[in-house]
Amino acid sequence: MRRAVCAVLLAAALAGCAAPGLRTLDGLSGVPPRVELAATPFYPQQDYQCGPAALATVLNAAGAATTPEALVDAVYLPARRGSLQLEMLAAVPRHGLVATRIPPRLDALLAELAAGHPVLVMQNMGLSWAPSWHYAVAVGYELARRELILRSGTESRMAMSFNTFEHTWARSGHWAFVALPPGTLPASAGAAELADGLIAYARLARPADAARGFAAAAARHPDDATLAVGLAGSQHAAGDHAAAEATLRATLARPALPAAGRDALANNLANLLAGRGRHDEAEALVAPIAAADGPWRDAARATLAAIRAARAPKAPPAATR
Amino acid sequence: MKLAKPLLTAALVVALPFTAFTQSVQAAMIGVEQMQAASRSADGDAARAQVLEALSRADVVAELERQGVSPEAARERVAALSDADAKRLAEQVDKAPAGGIIGAILLVFFVLLLTDILGLTKVFPFTRSIR
Repeated sequence: MRRAVCAVLLAAALAGCAAPGLRTLDGLSGVPPRVELAATPFYPQQDYQCGPAALATVLNAAGAATTPEALVDAVYLPARRGSLQLEMLAAVPRHGLVATRIPPRLDALLAELAAGHPVLVMQNMGLSWAPSWHYAVAVGYELARRELILRSGTESRMAMSFNTFEHTWARSGHWAFVALPPGTLPASAGAAELADGLIAYARLARPADAARGFAAAAARHPDDATLAVGLAGSQHAAGDHAAAEATLRATLARPALPAAGRDALANNLANLLAGRGRHDEAEALVAPIAAADGPWRDAARATLAAIRAARAPKAPPAATR
Repeated sequence: MKLAKPLLTAALVVALPFTAFTQSVQAAMIGVEQMQAASRSADGDAARAQVLEALSRADVVAELERQGVSPEAARERVAALSDADAKRLAEQVDKAPAGGIIGAILLVFFVLLLTDILGLTKVFPFTRSIR
């Protein structure tokens, strides 16, 4: 009787085993059958510190010199014996690199590996109701064996079946990111993920470096207003006003640009022009937006007010304070 | 202590004109984080300020130290967060359970051993998936 119950449980478990995420591999094309980024360094984890070890792996692979020990303060919470995902992402810009989340699909992960980018992944090695969180770095795969190759914990080369990996990865919400120098784009990330990564990077980076990152992303997504604003803003902050103006004008000329994005770009262009004394041109750009009921109306009104104030004859200086 | 006040005054004198200048230039320029946040009215700066404010409370400092984190390191981490992440952090830290999972691990040891072998989980390094 007991044996029968076990067999039923086993059959049920096996029937439910094929991970749905594996289906993303069905349409996979254009990647080599086998990839292994063998030059990716390996840092065996100490205690529960898979976070610092995995982070050091991707940072060093992208050219930043650091060690897991140096990262413990930044990303490790001793009492919780782990690292928060947000802090893993936040630590990357502090080492001069851009952290970009990749789409939550196995085919995207393989595309990054094929492009030569190691991928930091979060896994739940336990069960959903008894989680055992783990960070590892995917460094290769072999399609014929349906295996992923990871730097994981104390193993420098762990081969894990796509199926097992997909199950453990799915339980982390398919959380994964790549760390790359600004200007090098992930193979799989969309415009929104690129913007998220670059905005976090730009908060700490020199404007010229941020501009390099935004420029590469905007070249791939020329109709994305957020990336254009980021690029023009970085160029402006770096003191290159001509480049900022050219960026905004080129993007405004794109027919497929969404209307809200167009308003934001026009507002910023008006600010640039007004700052260089071209008040008429600036006012013509921003006046229709200030009059309409779009999402950037208030910003446009502020711009318009600033332009008119700059144009008004100077008030006589106050006699006393 | 006597030196503190003149120093502070000097710092303010240096800092104020600079602040005023950057504000007047940037007043109506739409930032990329605003674009990202688009419709959301609450700004990331507000979220960061909120988290930083919480970090200066005595009970929070004590809890941080109990968890083994120096408040200075925590502040640096908050400053490095993006707007969106700063907002999420506040929620995450609020919701995160305080206790460990040691008991649960003992309870499910055998379940995990079985599911490891089936290839559903990968907890024990010595198991080999049959699939």
